[in-house]
Amino acid sequence: MALNLNFLHEEIEQQRQRQRDPLKIGMMVLTMIGVGMFLYYMWNAYQTLEIKSRLNAAQADWAKVEPKVTAAKKRAAELNSIIGTTKVLNDMMESRFYWAPLLEQVAKCVAPNTQLTSLEGSVLDDKKGVSIVIEGTAAGREPRAAAEDLRQMLLEQLGQTYKDVKIEFKALEDLDTIVAVSGTNMAMARYSLVITLNPDTGKATAAPAPVRAVKTP
Amino acid sequence: MKFLKLNKDQTQKLFLSLIGFIALIYVYFTFFLGPLQRSRDNALKSIEETHEKIASSKTEMSKATRLEDQAKTATTQFAALRALSPEGAPIAWFPPRIKSFFANQQIDKVTARMETSSQPKEKELATWSTYNWVIQMPQADYSTLGKTVAALENSEPLLSVMKVSIHAAIEDPEFQQVTLTAAMLLEKR
Repeated sequence: MALNLNFLHEEIEQQRQRQRDPLKIGMMVLTMIGVGMFLYYMWNAYQTLEIKSRLNAAQADWAKVEPKVTAAKKRAAELNSIIGTTKVLNDMMESRFYWAPLLEQVAKCVAPNTQLTSLEGSVLDDKKGVSIVIEGTAAGREPRAAAEDLRQMLLEQLGQTYKDVKIEFKALEDLDTIVAVSGTNMAMARYSLVITLNPDTGKATAAPAPVRAVKTP
Repeated sequence: MKFLKLNKDQTQKLFLSLIGFIALIYVYFTFFLGPLQRSRDNALKSIEETHEKIASSKTEMSKATRLEDQAKTATTQFAALRALSPEGAPIAWFPPRIKSFFANQQIDKVTARMETSSQPKEKELATWSTYNWVIQMPQADYSTLGKTVAALENSEPLLSVMKVSIHAAIEDPEFQQVTLTAAMLLEKR
C-alpha cells in the first residue's frame, strides 16, 4: 500500500474556504440579481419610452385638432345663443297684438246712426289681454237701442276673431240734443263701451287695413 | 451541512450582504423602478385622456356642423332682425324714420318721442333693450290710420303697439287725433 502524503492540505483547505466564502457567494448572488434587475429596469424603461412616444403622437394629434374644436365649441355656443334669441324674438313677434284688424272690425260695426268720438285701447301687461274703451253717440227713435245694437255688433264681430270678448256699457245716457239723420229728427244718447278681449295669439297674422272710415261728429 | 457551519467572520459578512441586498432592493424600487412605473402609468393615463378628448372633439365638431345646418334659418332671421337696429342712438334715428314712414302713408306732422327704455326680462335678450315710444298724429284720417298701422306692424316686426288713443279732432271733424304708444326691441350697440 502506497503512502499518500498530502503536504498541501492546509492550502487546499484555505482554497476551499475561499471558495465557500459566504461574502463572495453573496456578492455573486447580488451581482446576478443586480444584473437581472438592471435588465428588468431597462426593459421597463424601453416600454416607458415607447409609451411616451405614443403619448407625444397623441398630443401632436390633439394639438392639430384643438384649435378646430375650440372654434367649433365657440361657434356652437354662438349658434345656440342665436337660436335662443331668435326663438324669444319670434315668440314676441307672434304674440304681438295687431291693432289694424281690430280697428277695421270696429269700423265695420259702426252704423250710420252711431258715431265714435274716441277709442282708447291698451294691451294689458303679461299678455292678459286687451282693454278698449269706446265712446260715442247714437241716434234714433230709441237711441239706447242703437247703442245696444252697436254693442251686439261689436260682440259678434270681435267674437269671431278674439277669445273671451266682453263688452259692457260703462255709461249710457240720453242727450237733450236732437239730430237729423236722413232727414228725420232723432234723439241722441251718449255711450261708453268697455271691451276686454283675449287675442288669439296662435292665429296672429299680418294685419290688414280697415276698409271703412269711422264717422266722427 | 458543512456549508452552513459559518464562523463569526462569515456570519458578519453574510449579515452585511443581507443588509446590502435589502438596501439594493429598496433603492431599486424606490428610486428606479417606482418612478419609471409612475411615469409609465401617467403616460398611459394621458394617452387615454387625449384619445378621449380627440374622440369627443370629433363629436363636438360634427355637432357644430349639424347645428350650423340647423341654425341656417335662425341665423338668417337673426341677421335680418339685427339689421332693423341701425348703428347709433335710437333717439337719433327712430323719430325721423317714423316721421318719414307716416309721411309716406299720407300722415303728416307726426312726432315721435322716447318715453322710457328698459331691459327685457328674458335672459336671451341680454344684449337687447326695449324702447317705449310715443307717436303722436295731430291729424289722421281713420282709414289711412288703419292702413298705416297695418303697414307699420308688418314692416317693423320688433315693434308692438301697446296703446292706441284716437280722439275726434274738435277743429276738423273729418280727422282724428291719434297717439300710439309702441314698444320696440332694439339691439344694444
